[in-house]
Amino acid sequence: MAYTRSVPDPKTAPPPECLPGQLHLTIATSRISITRNRCRFSCGAVVILWQLVSTIVAARGAESINDKPAASLQSFSFVESAKPQLLASGAVIYADKCASCHGDMGQGISGAYENPLVGDRSIAELASIIDRTMPEDEAELCQGEDALAAAIFAFETFYSEDAQLRNQPPRPALARLTTNQYRQNLSDLYTFFRGRSVPDGERGLHGIYFNHAGWRDNKKAFERNDALIDFDYGEDSPGEGIEAKEFGIYWSGGIMVPETGRYEIVARGMGSFKVDFIDSTEPFFDNHVQSGDVAEYKQSVELVGGRIYPINVEFIKRERKTGNVTAQFTLAWRPPHGVEQPIPTRYLYPGWTEQSFAPQTLLPPDDRSAGYERGSTISREWDEATTNGAIEFADVVSSRLWPWYRKERGKENGGEASDRDLLRQFGCQLIDMAFRCPTSEELRKQYVDDQLAATTDDDEAVRRIVILALKSPRFLYPAAAPIQSDDFRLASRLALTMWDSIPDVELRNAAQDGTLHGDDAVRQYARRMLDDPRALAKTMAALHHWLNLSRIGEVSKSSELFPNFNDPLVADLRASLDLFLQSVVQSEASDFRQLIGADWSYTSDRIAEFYGESWRPTGEQSIDRFSRTTADPQLRCGVITHPLVLSALAYNDTTSPIHRGVFLTRHLLGRVLRAPPEAFPPLSPDLHVDLTTRERVALQTSPETCQACHITINRLGFGLEQFDAVGIWRDLEKEKPIDSSGGYIDRSGRSHEFNGARELANYLINSDDAQSAFINRMFLHFVKQPPAVYGTQTMADLKAAFQQSEFNIRELIVNIAVVAAKGATTIQ
Amino acid sequence: MSKSFTSRRDFLRRTGITAASLPFLMNLSSLGWASTTTPRKRLVVIFTPNGIVPRNFWPDEPGPLESMTRILQPLDALKDQTLMLQGVCDKIRGDGDGHMRGIACLLTGIELFPGDIQGGSDTPAGWSRGISLDQHLKSKLQADPNTQTRFGSLEFGVMVPERADTWTRLCYAGANQPVAPIDNPYQMFDKLYGQVKDRDTIASVLDVLHADFHKVESLLSAEDKQLLQQHASMIREVENELRQEKEMAAKKKDMGHAVPDLPRDIEERNDNMPTLSKMQIDLMVNAFTADFNRIATLQYTNSVGGAKMKWLGIEEGHHDLSHEPNTNDDALEKLTKINIWFCEQVAYLATRLAETPEPGGGGSMLDNTTIIWTNELGEGNSHTLDNIPFVMVGGGLGFKMGQSLQFGEVPHNRLLLNIAEGMGHPLATFGNPDYCGDGPLTGLV
Repeated sequence: MAYTRSVPDPKTAPPPECLPGQLHLTIATSRISITRNRCRFSCGAVVILWQLVSTIVAARGAESINDKPAASLQSFSFVESAKPQLLASGAVIYADKCASCHGDMGQGISGAYENPLVGDRSIAELASIIDRTMPEDEAELCQGEDALAAAIFAFETFYSEDAQLRNQPPRPALARLTTNQYRQNLSDLYTFFRGRSVPDGERGLHGIYFNHAGWRDNKKAFERNDALIDFDYGEDSPGEGIEAKEFGIYWSGGIMVPETGRYEIVARGMGSFKVDFIDSTEPFFDNHVQSGDVAEYKQSVELVGGRIYPINVEFIKRERKTGNVTAQFTLAWRPPHGVEQPIPTRYLYPGWTEQSFAPQTLLPPDDRSAGYERGSTISREWDEATTNGAIEFADVVSSRLWPWYRKERGKENGGEASDRDLLRQFGCQLIDMAFRCPTSEELRKQYVDDQLAATTDDDEAVRRIVILALKSPRFLYPAAAPIQSDDFRLASRLALTMWDSIPDVELRNAAQDGTLHGDDAVRQYARRMLDDPRALAKTMAALHHWLNLSRIGEVSKSSELFPNFNDPLVADLRASLDLFLQSVVQSEASDFRQLIGADWSYTSDRIAEFYGESWRPTGEQSIDRFSRTTADPQLRCGVITHPLVLSALAYNDTTSPIHRGVFLTRHLLGRVLRAPPEAFPPLSPDLHVDLTTRERVALQTSPETCQACHITINRLGFGLEQFDAVGIWRDLEKEKPIDSSGGYIDRSGRSHEFNGARELANYLINSDDAQSAFINRMFLHFVKQPPAVYGTQTMADLKAAFQQSEFNIRELIVNIAVVAAKGATTIQ
Repeated sequence: MSKSFTSRRDFLRRTGITAASLPFLMNLSSLGWASTTTPRKRLVVIFTPNGIVPRNFWPDEPGPLESMTRILQPLDALKDQTLMLQGVCDKIRGDGDGHMRGIACLLTGIELFPGDIQGGSDTPAGWSRGISLDQHLKSKLQADPNTQTRFGSLEFGVMVPERADTWTRLCYAGANQPVAPIDNPYQMFDKLYGQVKDRDTIASVLDVLHADFHKVESLLSAEDKQLLQQHASMIREVENELRQEKEMAAKKKDMGHAVPDLPRDIEERNDNMPTLSKMQIDLMVNAFTADFNRIATLQYTNSVGGAKMKWLGIEEGHHDLSHEPNTNDDALEKLTKINIWFCEQVAYLATRLAETPEPGGGGSMLDNTTIIWTNELGEGNSHTLDNIPFVMVGGGLGFKMGQSLQFGEVPHNRLLLNIAEGMGHPLATFGNPDYCGDGPLTGLV
């Protein structure tokens, strides 16, 4: 079977996963487009090889090679009592036929097969693979019962998850703050002093309108909440009681930030305007001098998810000697992954909003090698970034926070405290917060008193205290900080798990009063904390992580086939998915099964224009431009048929059952997929004009070595074939009816068959594998340690509680927080 | 009202420098010493408001400067290095009153946009339609590795009001892009040396930090210790680097590159103007010595500026006085004193530069610097834009000094062309080409 060794193109080899053309996907940038790159597939020899494959396949019949489990797994069943004997003979067979390439404990042999043999397949699956493929090129040497015995030995000794845990018990790894945690921590050090705004139900910005070119109490015309700040008055008046030639409008409130990232804030207008944002020390935009035509200001700024930043806009139209002029004003943003748009109503809050601070220092990206962001490594670059972060915070403390504190606290107790007394008090409060517990006199001496003694200059002293505190391991490594009190340690873990931040005053008080004892008390606090916008932001990020959405940047499609598939549409799809996720999580039932099984979604007119009448907004439960779709169980199965997910997991002109299958295998079912043996460019549809996508994929992945993984990947991915490259329903491809039948063999070796997305969804929501995968992803995202660190029973306990709560996502998060707050127990 | 320091974030925002590049920037010498092979050329523009008193300012006849007029007396010792240009007129018209156009067209040579800043007369206006010459030359110098410096240009101010409008902005980075001068010397200090100060602070707390790392580390398991030890050794590295940096800095100090000592807590108040002026000039000389920039502007108050020079015994505001008719001898006397004070500031800068040897080259820094002292108006009470005062000191532009020239009536755009040429970047036109007709003025070289 020489054709299985295709010639890898050195430019494309080797991607870590066997995805045709997926090199684009794995480049860690935010601008990723999934496009087929045919030009890479230029090696004539390879083309000829693949043509040879098609000939052979045609002779054998495509369906017999692919998409059905090959040798029946039943042939590898065994009675439990036979296991000890099989294990013993397996040890001999393994040592004889396998160990020379795989190592005596499956650890791999350099120069032979280097990867350790670990995974999550059942014994029967392993046996079937050994039977068909092992030893390499001499598969006939180990078949039938020998293959089964070798499989049992490998499974029990080193391969299975239980064996891995036994051989290498996980322990909690010391971690520094991740980038998001660092920003949340700094933000809350600031809000500890200044206070933090939390939104109530109202949305929009509060506008006060004056019949005067400026603020004058007796010229106020009216007040109202404006849903969007996007006005073009022309030469007219903005409203009743206001003359067109001259007026003033003051908008105020806050902007809520849904996710941590870089936002471009845009103000565009004709007229004199000033915008304060984040803090009012100096204007964010100043078009106090209206000069020339429409003025446009843009500024990118790093913002932290789950926080509200104050915004104030002053807009003034002045009468001119040269005659009436036009007036207009728009406040817009471009959020991460989004397009520029007037800031949507759901992110505007009309209430009074406290001055804030948004750290701008950029930190190097966190380690993601384990599939989630964690602070497991440090570098010189990171150390320097934390120094710059400390300097940035010291600037803000010395120019804004400390002067404010001196003024506010100085008035207390008859204003008798000296600046130095106040400075000491400020410094001690700062380190108490930064170190997440009341500090000892010894620490206060080191971190505060000695710094005060070192200089007579107050500004210099406050900078020394801030820089020292923020460079301290007690701040940067929350788990390393030797916190004496169990209660404060628990509060610290709880805040880090739920908010990525430091305990707030309420939580500190609870720790102080000893009311954090027992799981129930902790659970109650965790529930309260879940209502905080920071927890919602973290939950949304966790769901994005579950869906691998952060890896999806720009989605682009063939302009020939899908001419109206553009960036604004993709931005609407993203909003639709987020509104759907948020609406499920925040509903009363908060039901995980809805995420995959819901027959409704969110949509907008723009989406309906592209996707047709079935996506027309119904006007129900509307949020801004979006409202629910009708219910349609065929067309809509939660996230798995969401057009953003389906489009992202497809090429720009055709579907990609492999991308979709890998997504389902890895992310929704939590299965381990090994990297492919080589890099493969996808088969070109042009070379196989008669084949459907399904047939082409089956053809390309037909070799036995591919089938080890693709038997799982393809059969899951084929289930979504009824949806084309942009996620539109189709009945035919190349005039052949769509075949969306597929199947899945779960971790325990049970086989499941389904036909189409709805049957697939119905399987997934009841699947033990899918539930475990969800719990595991949520745990990793919230805690940043694997569950087993907290005991081998952790996953089983969480799963039992999850099932008992009718799959309540919010309760799951609370239970995860309870586990994490108690701390890790190392398995002996 | 005293102003807040600009934060580092603002600094980064303004300069577009990412945090990652900071450590390199902190090593000031990397950009601080551009090529020493070609002679440096520096340009300083000093702006003072409200016109001058012609009879006490201009010499009776053009020709060699033998004796200085009353207002120019402070420059007497440097008269061989001084050049006066008479008959240069700001011909730019269009929107905006005389004061607005006086300051905003002075270095841009082009009209203002229509807008809604309304003066006491004429039509309202917005910002300038074009870049100012200092900023144009800065971008030229910065584009060439041989003339590139850390900042390119620095915009100083003295008592510039805390408001951004057409009357308060002299420099433009482009159409509708006014550049705010820094009139707080501490803020300017922070811009020039703030990072050095931060590094000092960091260096001084590293010992404490190191001790605490050890303490925290001692409570951890062997595996966890590793990460913290790795971090602690990085901090040790930083400590060593900072020590080396400090030693380098000490060496530089011996070479005259000391970080200046500013008097403490000088608030931005009218009465502190003389001290603020001196602080800014000292900082400017320091910046030139360290070769942080080749271009500087120094803006006193603003057009229509109303400084009350009580230290000269003058209680009235400058702008109010400037409206008095030529028959008011008392007002003219006071205006003369005010302008003498301004000239003293020019002379202080010129003298400091003359006393400072050119780093890495022969002669004084003044030999390679030209200071241009100019004004928004020719005369305050008539609001004329004709006969704008242009006094030059120093040899940077290579003009023939020690004389007074009379041009009759020429648009000042042509003089801007001379300056560009003198800085090594000649232009065919600058600003509104209608006023550049015959090219650079002749007779300057």
